[in-house]
Amino acid sequence: MKLFSGLAAFLCLVAVGPSRGVSLAQEPAAVESRSVWDGVFTEEQARRGEALYHKECKSCHGETLAGGESAPPLTGGAFLSNWNGLTLGDLFERIRKTMPQNSPGKLNRQQNADILAYTLSANKFPAGKTELSRQTEFLKEIRFEAMKREPRK
Amino acid sequence: MLRGKKCGWSLGILWISAGLALLPAQTPAQYRAKDTEWPSYAADLAGTRYRPLEQINASNFNDLEVAWRIKTDNFGNRPEYKLEGTPLMVNDVLYATAGSRRAVIALDAATGELLWIHGEHEGERGAAAPRQLSGRGLAYWSDGKEERIFYVTPGYRLICLNAKTGTPVASFGKGGALDLKLDDDQTIFPDLATGEIGVQSAPVVAKETVIVGAAFREGMTPKSMKNNKGYVRGFDVRTGKRLWIFHTIPKRGEFGYDTWLNDSAEYTGNTGVWTQITVDEQLGLVYLPVESPTSDYYGGQRPGNNLFGESLVCVDLKTGQRKWHFQLVHHPLWDMDISSAPILADIVVDGKPIKAVAQPSKQGFLYVFDRITGKPVWPIEEQKVEQGSVPGEWYSKTQAIPTKPPAYSRNGVSIDDLIDFNPGLREQAKAIASKYHLGPVFTPPVESKLDGPLGTLTLGTASGGTNWPGGSYDPETHIAYLYACNACVEPIGLVPAPKDVSDLNYIAGVAGHEVGILRGPGENAGADSPMPPKKTTASSYVRMNVDGLPLIKPPYGTITAINLNEGNILWQVAHGETPDVVRSYPAFKGLNIPRTGQQTYNIGTLVTKTLVIAGEGQVTTTADHPRGAMLRAYDKTTGKEVGAVYMPAPQSGSPMTYMVKGKQYIVVAVSGGPYSGEYIAYTLPSTAE
Repeated sequence: MKLFSGLAAFLCLVAVGPSRGVSLAQEPAAVESRSVWDGVFTEEQARRGEALYHKECKSCHGETLAGGESAPPLTGGAFLSNWNGLTLGDLFERIRKTMPQNSPGKLNRQQNADILAYTLSANKFPAGKTELSRQTEFLKEIRFEAMKREPRK
Repeated sequence: MLRGKKCGWSLGILWISAGLALLPAQTPAQYRAKDTEWPSYAADLAGTRYRPLEQINASNFNDLEVAWRIKTDNFGNRPEYKLEGTPLMVNDVLYATAGSRRAVIALDAATGELLWIHGEHEGERGAAAPRQLSGRGLAYWSDGKEERIFYVTPGYRLICLNAKTGTPVASFGKGGALDLKLDDDQTIFPDLATGEIGVQSAPVVAKETVIVGAAFREGMTPKSMKNNKGYVRGFDVRTGKRLWIFHTIPKRGEFGYDTWLNDSAEYTGNTGVWTQITVDEQLGLVYLPVESPTSDYYGGQRPGNNLFGESLVCVDLKTGQRKWHFQLVHHPLWDMDISSAPILADIVVDGKPIKAVAQPSKQGFLYVFDRITGKPVWPIEEQKVEQGSVPGEWYSKTQAIPTKPPAYSRNGVSIDDLIDFNPGLREQAKAIASKYHLGPVFTPPVESKLDGPLGTLTLGTASGGTNWPGGSYDPETHIAYLYACNACVEPIGLVPAPKDVSDLNYIAGVAGHEVGILRGPGENAGADSPMPPKKTTASSYVRMNVDGLPLIKPPYGTITAINLNEGNILWQVAHGETPDVVRSYPAFKGLNIPRTGQQTYNIGTLVTKTLVIAGEGQVTTTADHPRGAMLRAYDKTTGKEVGAVYMPAPQSGSPMTYMVKGKQYIVVAVSGGPYSGEYIAYTLPSTAE
């Protein structure tokens, strides 16, 4: 689709770059640029996040993350569009600084990262082998993309 | 809580109030609303959201540019991402509520310069408030000399400010404030600080009376069948003296008490008026749109029709005495609060002039009455409806269904309403729907069961149709313009409430899942000690989408024009760009999908001399604009889009318009997702002279 054609070309360049495992320090950031489709959290982290979600978030955002009368959904088209094109760092900071709404800052960075992992999991983004970082700078290197790009043929 | 530790609410501390003598030198002559001003939340007391301005029109809407903007982050100790206000504009000054403090700000309407600001630190009381954040707006009053601004704080106090300086008016209430938790014909429990009652809508001033309603927490999963009651009161605009009260749940001996069987009127609460109130000053009549009683989806502990729950009630402006009422939903079970301002419309039906009141609704019906007598303009028929089977529930055998105008948004779910872009998606949607009970409007909720149904699948309920932003009306052409969410699907299931969660027999929930209390934003009650999560049952964990696409087929959101002389629909358009997830769905490549509109429930419209104007409620990223949302203009006679201007975030408060120094402005509140609250004023580019 037109929407993503520019970025898709960029991604294809990334795809032929060095494989993962090369240390960050030795490679340009662009080479390691990742998206939410690249398995950026683990299932275990999402499970921890789920427990936290039920404790801290569910009362407003709902059992299925569908939102409530006063809190926006954390799944579905509106949510994905809201964050599409931004980074996980942006979403992480929104959660970290403003949630839970009755007590912002109550949760520590690790807990927020776990909740973010659960949110990604609930939106059917794939789990992987490494956990989401709790550092904003690292999360800013992971792009939030609503739709998976088609591989180049 | 974090805030207000040092400042008890009762101190009513003035946060900042700088009467900087920056206001225009012009003094108000005998005040009366001008067409170029926006003196009330909905433009006027008739709820029209209409101004006959035409400098901004179809030929130049695309030329609009930002005149000024103001972020609301600093009007509170944390940013707000849910800015819902519609400002007022009188005498070249714009007034608005803003920020997590629900501060009041006064701005130069031409430049956006901050003239004064006022906020109230309410400590524990503010922190415990059921409806927090910036609210929807305020009210203006003037006798030609004095100008006053009224608003209700999160902690439910009515504040009266000098509109010129922002300082409280000492002669009103106690030092400019009225404690609305007092003198309410009930003792607010458990105490004044934490007692659940508040309001987020703007108060209304009509003649010498300021009118205030009440709101509560979300009502799907209350802790108890008992709650405070949402009475409506009128106060003297000069002194704050209570002039009248209307008991939205009748007291013993009052009309309607017998519609609450087993004395359930004694303990049932809610039933407030949390949305905007409409007034006909000439007739001296007030129109109250009343919400649901406790609880939204289960009424087994309030048997009977439950007047005045979900009723439109007309009361006398001077006395609060009931003149007439019409219950839109008997024994409410669907969260069909009357959620928006009634619209006053002087129409002509079959050659006969009628002073009418038209009530938009979540259920997509526009109910039209003679506003003097309460008699329906077109028949509203009592029709038999499905009787449910939730243990202990009491069901009304019939419900009132208008014969005209036709429903302007979906209010029931059938297989035909499910996504149908291709047969595969429809099959997936049918598989989801097969776990639910389906049916037309007023199909009752069911007890959620693991082997099905998990709930009743509904449209036109909690967030369907027209919600708090309400509709618009053109008094010259007698046409109403109504935004509606046409795809805000709500599965309603009930589960037995554990004794340690609620004393209701049933509350909203899904079989196999932990039962919990759902909250509104910012509520602090119990947040530090929630119930331990139980293991969820994957099989009953159902989302209302198919491969990321909405379960319900387009159009997702619409604007409908209804001719109130004829009671028919003139046009209907999908409002809002097709969502990214639909436009970029791989299997749709090459398909020409007409604009779908968006699945958003809180969009308000503005009507001018030639245009209907409304922003989008969702962010999109398209070839034409970066991630953001568009403020769109339609030709009001045809519905054809004639222009659009970019906004950095979705419309979260309804737009308004005014003229200052020969220029027309449109102001809209935007916020959501990563974008904190901001008011943006648009105007046309200056032309060289």
